[in-house]
Amino acid sequence: MSSLTSALPPAQGTGARLARWGLYLILALFAAYYLLPLLLMIATSFKSPEEIRTGSLLSLPRELSLDAWSYAWNRACIGADCRGMAPYFLNSVAIVVPSVVLSTLFGALNGYALTKWRFRGANIVFAMILFGSFLPSQVILLPMARTLGVLGLAGSTGGLVLVHVVYGLAFTTLFFRNYYVSIPDDLVKAATIDGAGFFQIFTKIMLPLSLPILVVTIIWQFTQIWNDFLFGASFAAGGAQPVTVALNNLVNTTTGVKQYNVDMAAAMIAGLPTLVVYVLAGKYFIRGLTAGSVKG
Amino acid sequence: MTLQNPTYRPPAGTADAAPPRPAGLRALAQRHLSKLVVAPSFAAILLFVYGFIAWTVYISFTNSKMLPSYELVGPDAFSKLWRISRWYVAIENLLIFGGLFIGISLAIGILLAVLLDQRIRGEGVLRTIYLYPMALSFIVTGTAWKWILNPTIGIQEFVRSLGFPAFTFDWIVQQDTAVYTLVIAAVWQSSGFVMALFLAALRGVDQEIIKAAYLDGASLPRIYWGIVLPSIRPVFMSAFVILAHLAVKSYDLVVALTGGGPGYASDLPATFMYEMTFRRNQIAIGSASALMMLATVVAIIVPYLYSELKGGKRV
Amino acid sequence: MATLSINNVRKQYGAVEVLKGIDLTLADGEFLVLLGPSGCGKSTLLNMIAGLETISAGEIRIDQRVVNGVHPKDRDIAMVFQSYALYPNMTVARNIGFSLEMRGQSKAERDTAVRRVAKLLQIEHLLDRKPAQLSGGQRQRVAMGRALVRDPKIFLFDEPLSNLDAKLRVDMRTEIKKLHQRLGTTVVYVTHDQIEAMTLASRIAIMKEGVVQQFAPPQEVYERPANMYVAGFIGSPTMNFVRGTLSAEGDRLGVSVGRDRGLFLPLPETPDQAPDQAGHWLGQEVILGIRPEAVTCHDPAAAAGNPALARVSCRVDVLEPTGADTITYIQLNGQEVVARIKPSDRVTEGATADFMIDMARANLFDPKTEQRI
Repeated sequence: MSSLTSALPPAQGTGARLARWGLYLILALFAAYYLLPLLLMIATSFKSPEEIRTGSLLSLPRELSLDAWSYAWNRACIGADCRGMAPYFLNSVAIVVPSVVLSTLFGALNGYALTKWRFRGANIVFAMILFGSFLPSQVILLPMARTLGVLGLAGSTGGLVLVHVVYGLAFTTLFFRNYYVSIPDDLVKAATIDGAGFFQIFTKIMLPLSLPILVVTIIWQFTQIWNDFLFGASFAAGGAQPVTVALNNLVNTTTGVKQYNVDMAAAMIAGLPTLVVYVLAGKYFIRGLTAGSVKG
Repeated sequence: MTLQNPTYRPPAGTADAAPPRPAGLRALAQRHLSKLVVAPSFAAILLFVYGFIAWTVYISFTNSKMLPSYELVGPDAFSKLWRISRWYVAIENLLIFGGLFIGISLAIGILLAVLLDQRIRGEGVLRTIYLYPMALSFIVTGTAWKWILNPTIGIQEFVRSLGFPAFTFDWIVQQDTAVYTLVIAAVWQSSGFVMALFLAALRGVDQEIIKAAYLDGASLPRIYWGIVLPSIRPVFMSAFVILAHLAVKSYDLVVALTGGGPGYASDLPATFMYEMTFRRNQIAIGSASALMMLATVVAIIVPYLYSELKGGKRV
Repeated sequence: MATLSINNVRKQYGAVEVLKGIDLTLADGEFLVLLGPSGCGKSTLLNMIAGLETISAGEIRIDQRVVNGVHPKDRDIAMVFQSYALYPNMTVARNIGFSLEMRGQSKAERDTAVRRVAKLLQIEHLLDRKPAQLSGGQRQRVAMGRALVRDPKIFLFDEPLSNLDAKLRVDMRTEIKKLHQRLGTTVVYVTHDQIEAMTLASRIAIMKEGVVQQFAPPQEVYERPANMYVAGFIGSPTMNFVRGTLSAEGDRLGVSVGRDRGLFLPLPETPDQAPDQAGHWLGQEVILGIRPEAVTCHDPAAAAGNPALARVSCRVDVLEPTGADTITYIQLNGQEVVARIKPSDRVTEGATADFMIDMARANLFDPKTEQRI
């Protein structure tokens, strides 16, 4: 990706230099706008309640206190349960890992079958799967709640895994399908003549070529499922709730004195995994966003 | 860039061509492997998407209250829904929120994309900063913004402490302004994404066109306004559809930021539906409102998808 | 090594028939080139021989065995693709040995076979590289190696040289020919390049819109094209088509061409070309097909000994020297004709010169059916 204007010679003169300064100023202001909430959260999470009350919103913490973090992690009360965010964080991990693995695996297989072994009606099947990515979740909340009840999965992390896998399929299938469309069909023909079957071609040729889209899909699914709130709030009971639901309960607890530093530390705990993934693999994240943009 | 076009390509040959035709059960399975592999996912989608939509439609035509009842009573729930003033608040809020959210996000996103396209030093860092909110859960960002917008500890208090005791910024606790705080947080969260979409599109524009326009004597703003932006018109469409879809589905942010309050002043259809279905024991009305949301999304998505699939502009 | 017979093979996609009854039979060791423009169905036919496309009707036999329903891997064929279709994730060695791997051969067996083929193609030094690290010509060799390694009954080539630059294409063409001479394996080769077809084939099948126009050895296709399509497709510059009337002057049968049909070009005197043999064609419109090399500068010595050489006087419009010979555009009594003359011939643009047409190499076509008469 090269800048569009790099085709042109740079402008010369004082006016151009001034415009350049203005440009950087605007960009910096926007950077401040996007960064401020995060910085405030981090700063506040390290402050003592005393300092929050007396100090300024924008001031840096006088001393780095990890009290709020450790309190949020293992002592804060989520409803009547005062074990902190830790168990819910682990719930989220227990939900995210199998959901991401399964939905990615199915997505890869679907994408492969729908592009390289096109059967009659494959495009209708794909269109119908794709529509699932636009579905407002509200439409399926009630039937899903009843169905999970019938399956004996109500209120469990297992139920949430099922929900996330099913509603993640639309995205993962879309990602892999669009990626595999760009892999030449000749490879599959050549491998067929060489004697490889459906699954051999998948495991020996397609999967080894899929690393970029695998990363994109895993990151995408990870952030989507980790950040989910609606399904967690609707289908998980008490101890099985994911970290986002716990955070919301913690923040909205009306009993006792409001501990903003604990709230912020808890918010950081809930947000940190996706934030770390984003900073480490940001370019894949962007690719995922743009690749999945047919979805929303 | 994005939006791969799922159009049909002429028979490439591999499809149903390769499978062998010897007899036997294994051969039969081999020949239909492709379908067998897709079948579980497709069945799941059929049941959990289409089946559930049908289920919700059915429920909305019953008089279900706390528990689903399966006795059809006609479109009562719909007529009741449209007599609830809270529903009108939710709809009105959606129009305000959706309109402002989409408009401002597009404006900021495009502005940032064009500015970032000027051979900016540190572009990668800036891009990361602009986009990172998208990686966070609405619950996390809602928590942060709730605190910043809180009059007694947030921005209002901060500005007052700077020596402006009359300064007031208490939208979040006012009935008629609470919905605008949703816009602030949602724009903050999503405008970077719009920026990423447009930046990718700008980078895909043919450089020859730019050179030609430059040689013709067009100024840089003119080149962008008159040539570049019109040439990436499809991205406007995609961005609009994505943002509109996000707006209709918005639930987490409302819960975390305003809780729909004060009262139900900042309710959106998504929170209304949840309230009706799970708290007020009005399952039929909740289902009816969910279907209204679905209808809205379909009205936005279907023409868009249709034009995408028909046009076959991009593959 | 094997024979191949294709009997009345058809292919339909929905209502569209892309192959309309193809009949071709190949003897063991033949080199068949399927030649035609894109969309003529030649690649579809190749894919059907490979087993990558189903056969709508008819049958394909390899060594007398009907292979219609046989899986590609059980047909004992190998294929080289236009895109090479090398597996990007595997080394050259593994690419070449992949078909053996799929057949369950041991690592040692595979290594021996891969080495043998790599030596044959002189790519031993590339065995540990990935396809992305290879040049176009090297990829082409690897693709061939992958086909060679199994020692198949039939080789299938799908436009294997079209992604190479001009020089490399000529080199590889020669190399493919040498390989065929050495191995003697039956080959089916698809191309749209007439030079490749002429140089490589033992027989060419020229296709157009799903129909074989002519199936014959290259020289026959060149000298006696079955119709105007074939005549125009093969040869560069293309054959001259001159409208004329079949007429008789005395006991000589000939073609009157040009303005008012004023120029009479006598056909050679052979028993079947006497006026009384011409039957209903006499006096009818015909199209005279003459290759550019049959139109040369008048050479009295040659003309004296060969009555088939018709002498004509023409204005020279344009000269295009190519080095080896000069392509010359001349006016043959009001019709433009391309001649191929020697660079040493002294003609100038705009002037009139004497040319001679070798009527023994002329072809006559029916203007309505475009078939050869």
